Amino acid sequence: MSTIDPAGTKTYDTEVLIIGGGVTGTGIMRDLALRGFQCLLVERKDLNAGASGGNHGLLHSGGRYASSDAETAAECRMESDIIKRMAPECIDDCGGLFVAVEGDDPAFAERFPEHCAKAGIDCQSLSPQEARKREPQLSDTVFAAYVVPDASIDPFHITLGNVHHAQQLTDSTYLPHTEVIEFDIADGTIASALCRDLRSGESVRISAKQVVNASGAWARNIAQLAGCTDVDLLYVKGTLIVSNSRLCNGVVNRLRPPGDGDILVPGGTVSLLGTTSDKVDSLEGLRPTVDEVDHILNEGMPMLPVLRDTRFIRAFCGVRPLLQSSDAGMDGRKASRGFQLFDHEDQGLKNFTSLVGGKLTTYRLMAEKTGDLVTRRMGKKAPCKSASEPLPAGDSVRWTEPGYAPRFWYRRNDPTDAILCECEMVPRSAIDEIVETAPGAESHMTLRAIGLRSRVGKGTCQGSFCAARVSSYLYDSDVYSGVEGRDHMRDFLAERFKGLRPVLWGKQMPQMELAEAFHCGLLGLDFKKENGSGSSS
Amino acid sequence: MTAQEEIITPTIDFQAKAHELLPENASYDSCLACGLCSSGCPASGLHGIDPRRFIRMAMLGMNEELSNTPWIWTCTMCQRCAYVCPMNIDVSVLVGYARGAWPKEKKPQGIVRSCEAQMMSASTSAMGVMPDDFVEIIEETVEELHLGDERFKDLEVPMDKKGAYFFVNQNSREPAVEPEELGPLWKIFDYVGADWSYASKGWAAENFCMFTGDESTWKEMVKQRVDAINELDCKVWINTECGHSFYTMWAGVEKFGLETNFEAASLISYYAQWIREGKLPVNSDWNTGNIKFTIQDPCQLVRKSMGDPVADDLRYVARELVGADNVIDMQPCRSANYCCGGGGGFLQAGMNEQRRAYGKRKFDQIAVTQAQYVLTPCHNCHSQITDLGDVYGGDYRVVHFWTLICLALGILGENERKYLGPDLMDIGLP
Amino acid sequence: MKRELRQYTTQVTVIGSGLAGFAASMFALDRGIQTAQIGNTGAVAYTTGYFDLLGGDGGEVIDDPWRGIEALRKTEPDHPLSRIDDKDIRTAFSKFTEALSALGLGYTQPGENNLMALLPGGIAKPTLSVPKTMLGGVEAASKGAQTLIVDFIGLQGFSAKEMVANLSSSWPGLGAETVAFPDMESGASVYVEVMARSLEVAENQKRLAKRIKAVLGDSKVVGLPAILGIHGSDVVHAQMEKLIGVPVFEIPTMPPAVPGIRLRELFEGTLPDKGLMLVPQHKANRIDLNEDGIIVNLEDSFGEIQIQSQAAILATGRFLSGGLAADRHGVRETLAGIPVSQPDNRNDWHNPDYFDAGGHPINRSGIEVDGCYRPLDANGNPASERLFAAGIVLAHQDWIRQRCGAGISFASAYKAVEAASKILEA
Ligand SMILES: Cc1cc2nc3c(=O)[nH]c(=O)nc-3n(C[C@H](O)[C@H](O)[C@H](O)COP(=O)(O)OP(=O)(O)OC[C@H]3O[C@@H](n4cnc5c(N)ncnc54)[C@H](O)[C@@H]3O)c2cc1C
Ligand SMILES: Cc1cc2nc3c(=O)[nH]c(=O)nc-3n(C[C@H](O)[C@H](O)[C@H](O)COP(=O)(O)OP(=O)(O)OC[C@H]3O[C@@H](n4cnc5c(N)ncnc54)[C@H](O)[C@@H]3O)c2cc1C
Ligand code: SF4
Ligand code: SF4
Repeated sequence: MSTIDPAGTKTYDTEVLIIGGGVTGTGIMRDLALRGFQCLLVERKDLNAGASGGNHGLLHSGGRYASSDAETAAECRMESDIIKRMAPECIDDCGGLFVAVEGDDPAFAERFPEHCAKAGIDCQSLSPQEARKREPQLSDTVFAAYVVPDASIDPFHITLGNVHHAQQLTDSTYLPHTEVIEFDIADGTIASALCRDLRSGESVRISAKQVVNASGAWARNIAQLAGCTDVDLLYVKGTLIVSNSRLCNGVVNRLRPPGDGDILVPGGTVSLLGTTSDKVDSLEGLRPTVDEVDHILNEGMPMLPVLRDTRFIRAFCGVRPLLQSSDAGMDGRKASRGFQLFDHEDQGLKNFTSLVGGKLTTYRLMAEKTGDLVTRRMGKKAPCKSASEPLPAGDSVRWTEPGYAPRFWYRRNDPTDAILCECEMVPRSAIDEIVETAPGAESHMTLRAIGLRSRVGKGTCQGSFCAARVSSYLYDSDVYSGVEGRDHMRDFLAERFKGLRPVLWGKQMPQMELAEAFHCGLLGLDFKKENGSGSSS
Repeated sequence: MTAQEEIITPTIDFQAKAHELLPENASYDSCLACGLCSSGCPASGLHGIDPRRFIRMAMLGMNEELSNTPWIWTCTMCQRCAYVCPMNIDVSVLVGYARGAWPKEKKPQGIVRSCEAQMMSASTSAMGVMPDDFVEIIEETVEELHLGDERFKDLEVPMDKKGAYFFVNQNSREPAVEPEELGPLWKIFDYVGADWSYASKGWAAENFCMFTGDESTWKEMVKQRVDAINELDCKVWINTECGHSFYTMWAGVEKFGLETNFEAASLISYYAQWIREGKLPVNSDWNTGNIKFTIQDPCQLVRKSMGDPVADDLRYVARELVGADNVIDMQPCRSANYCCGGGGGFLQAGMNEQRRAYGKRKFDQIAVTQAQYVLTPCHNCHSQITDLGDVYGGDYRVVHFWTLICLALGILGENERKYLGPDLMDIGLP
Repeated sequence: MKRELRQYTTQVTVIGSGLAGFAASMFALDRGIQTAQIGNTGAVAYTTGYFDLLGGDGGEVIDDPWRGIEALRKTEPDHPLSRIDDKDIRTAFSKFTEALSALGLGYTQPGENNLMALLPGGIAKPTLSVPKTMLGGVEAASKGAQTLIVDFIGLQGFSAKEMVANLSSSWPGLGAETVAFPDMESGASVYVEVMARSLEVAENQKRLAKRIKAVLGDSKVVGLPAILGIHGSDVVHAQMEKLIGVPVFEIPTMPPAVPGIRLRELFEGTLPDKGLMLVPQHKANRIDLNEDGIIVNLEDSFGEIQIQSQAAILATGRFLSGGLAADRHGVRETLAGIPVSQPDNRNDWHNPDYFDAGGHPINRSGIEVDGCYRPLDANGNPASERLFAAGIVLAHQDWIRQRCGAGISFASAYKAVEAASKILEA
């Protein structure tokens, strides 16, 4: 599908170019593929490099917004219902609780059922005893509790599944580490986009009939590249922490106006506590901090005292691209969680669409709206199918689900299928499949890319042991052949460390010390100059 | 489908149980995934599981798989994993718990039947030796001894002697199938002039109920024995040459909060003491051929109970008996020793292939020592190591300490040499 | 059930069974001091087996550790190595390596320069002393000898191909082969510890040698992951060289690896015969300091144990070993409540970049000692006349990045024992 032009630039021709490999971009890719369009998705880094990989994974019932934004709440309710039906494999339909504890406003709690009713959200009241039976870790100061149909969702599985399905449907293409740097615009039309392959440094030109900007928090930048000044965004950073084990059966929300550290979401075998919410000016170089972690813990403990002694294995953060509105407030919590579709026609462009804001929960709806516009602009009539066509299960996209790999491995019962990541029990066969056929698979695939498509590096040791085991395996299976494995390892470990750094205390300290001693003392990865043994004489 | 397969094994929440049963800093949540436990566990890889994996599967919520895996019957609960773990995480605790949750019908029937046999009479014997039978067998055996060896014509084997200093338990194997093996120990007691007694109730040493994982029967067995000892008002309960019977008693007493008015001691410690005191004037002069011996430390006695001091006693006794240079230790040994694979009910579980795979390490260790004899104060070790030798072609024999002590004292009868090879058949005969 | 409280009396109790702890016990026994020791698996369990003195500085390799220490005395005067004479460091280091060699685990004597020792990923490690079984790797690498690296079916985390890929540009004569270890042919996961124990059996040595010979080709040297026996590895090594017919060397592997197990089992297996009262694999849960001595309390499965002594040496290591513990608000010493010098704020514990050449400040936290290796209390006075400290629990060093763990352990243990011996009553 790609050709090399006389100037040596790789060129692609596609019907729709989509920019941004988050849940929105991939959702659009699949939506359009379901309507028969051939798409090409470019992503500057890799799938879910933005907010889609840095969120809470809560498939909102709408309860969270019931008290403040009935419209968003209702949207969440409808969309979460659809996703539960269309992508059950990506969902843990664990239900959720809203609880008020000592110090929380009883009046706010009291009105909750009423607000839920307005948004059509199923909401059942529980006695404190019942609530604590359901969630034994809840504080004994709980005085109000309601059950809502919250669920948790695996955003990696969704994204990979979207791409995989689009590839199958219309031979659509996904190009990782490909950044859009320039548009070629003529007659109110984007004719092509010039991109750079950030791994090889080569230029890539993509001609498309329609261009969709789904670059999340970067949407303003991309719009500006196309000369559009109509996209205005707030950047709100949110930080979360991951526990070593699953602390609660279902989602636990604090029944108070949205604040920090007030939601605990199960992520399969772990739990995620979050979030913070702070406006930031820049999107680059963000990482979770010690202060943020302490803050969410302090906020979360009154609701869940167990947090005090919980072992946390990682922190991470993401940026919410929120639509600018006049009364957004300092922390951005009051900004709209809704989304907006820009057709940019008032900016003089006919084939460029930007999609901004929204939520993971509503990504399908956002994709549907975008799909409708693009279809119309392509002069076609093809209805949206994503609300009725289940997301198919694909062999190569199922490895992100916590606990899937070990169950697969256990059932398979093949003693030669060695486990490479012991914490999350990821076997060789999973790595083989990812390296060969996962969306975005390529030669000399990095450990980070493999980690993204599996649970490798996500467990207790945060990749400290499995990085070495997977790397050795990739050399043995001729995926790596030069010194790249070492670089990938260093890069992978450095990235894991960013998330470890703010949660280093208690039981994670010995783990970290062992890791550092291993990586430096036994692998020498900290030496500046690589003194390959042979050259030392 | 047979009726047996329809019985469902209840699913345990392993993570929650670990949290409940293990110390806070030695629970699954503290695991570093370093793998030291697995690399040092002989059950690693059987049924695809090893201790680290067991822990990880628990942390990953694989409760159903863990609740049903037959691996729990291949882990001998030897606690070597906890011994080498930087966090001392003990996998055997939940293995025991998981065993208990299996429906009786599904458990390895050999272990279940042994426990049931124990429950049948006041003897608590797994081989079905009733109290009356026991008394009778003892009487007959003593009589034969009196007739057979002039020197022991007055030897007494006290039964139910109230206030005796030592209460001695007895593994059922000897009265049930090889009564002639009873003699050596009696001779030793006689030799040192010990004030001791057997009991007609609660005399048996073995406790397979513990291995079934069923705590109520484990408790019941220990209680019956404790009652018997309390009743006789003995000062010291001496555990015979048997590993798990020691652990099952003291750990059971503690676990179930039973009242005792006696002290627990191992026969090995007394052998050592008596030799030191000159009451057992053994020497190794008989070992003119410098026959080599190695020692199998029973996990239940050493690592799981008294630690290195009793291992040191074992070595002291062995060196006195066969000559210091003729004791070649297996490596690793003492508290770090490998389980032979006979424990935890493995021998009775009918999983021969796995049991022998587990025992291969032990076999290799013995091979390295090039010893002709393996000395061990444990019946399970004895049987397992003998079987390993048969299966893997080992050129050694397994003996109890009592045999060698009597041999060295020159009081070992001709019929008490069942486990000796031709090289020792004639040594020390009157 | 009535069980006697087990009480032992000795002159010195060493708390910790890492390199510092075992060095302290050896040095004490050497001085004829009655010694008891307790300790559990800790950092040393995961070691390469190499003994570092000083090998790294800000991401650079140090070739001459003695000159490095000289420089350290100016830049880091509080560094434990800065505070000990070269003479004492040398004595401590060589006493330890000599003692190990005498116990059957041969080590090279510390020399003037660091050796560049092989690591499994192909990067070399500057270290002062290596096990004899690994020396061949240093030599083969420096000569660029025609060498075959062998790995095994089923062994995870060690790849001969990976080593070759990473080294081939500087070491062209390097080749890779995979063989099946005897009785481990199925492809199921195998552990180096199991292979090492199996290789103690003569028959298995022969079988493996035969398989290696079959793939040897033109190679003049063979490199294996560290599997040449846990016990008697020098003998296994010699035997394998004889059987294969070319020099053989070992390469350290990732945890769980052989060198740490080898050291632990060697100490556990031999020191009690030299008079050490060892309670292996147990930690103290409390120490009581009083006028006439120190009582170290611990508990094993069978109950409580008390060790009464005239002096104790705290060699409890850091976070991995449990000598130090951290909560969100700070770091503490876990056994004697000795104050820990540390960065003010958790945010300063670690630098943002994992591989920051300067290392992480938290690694330099630890306990302060006076010139007699007595830990200092909050007022800067010795916490007790009878308590001494040694090893990487000491502050002002970064054992990981500076590659100085073994050196600090031996030298400070030597000094601590020397100081402790002075207060012992005859
Ligand atoms: C802390 C936090 C918690 C959240 N929790 C929840 C929750 O629990 N439930 C919920 O429903 N929603 C939640 N959200 C919101 C949800 O995560 C986002 O709405 C959603 O992920 C946005 O997806 P996206 O694809 O639009 O953007 P992104 O995922 O940010 O994707 C944009 C992509 O564009 C790429 N890109 C940028 N520039 C270029 C370029 N020049 N060329 C090529 N590619 C480029 C980026 O690398 C990025 O991968 C949360 C958000 C945050 C930050
Ligand atoms: C991955 C890795 C690679 C390494 N590679 C090298 C190398 O190449 N070269 C090198 O020289 N060194 C290496 N080391 C080892 C390290 O340098 C040594 O372990 C260290 O120098 C020894 O220091 P130590 O004895 O003070 O502490 P540790 O080895 O940490 O030992 C501390 C001991 O104290 C015990 N302890 C803690 N609390 C208590 C208590 N309450 N009661 C009783 N005992 C207690 C612990 O159980 C442990 O036995 C490596 C370590 C690791 C983890
Ligand atoms: S030895 Fe301990 S810390 Fe290491 S993997 Fe096993 S249980 Fe976990
Ligand atoms: S108790 Fe023994 S057999 Fe069981 S897991 Fe631990 S080491 Fe293995």
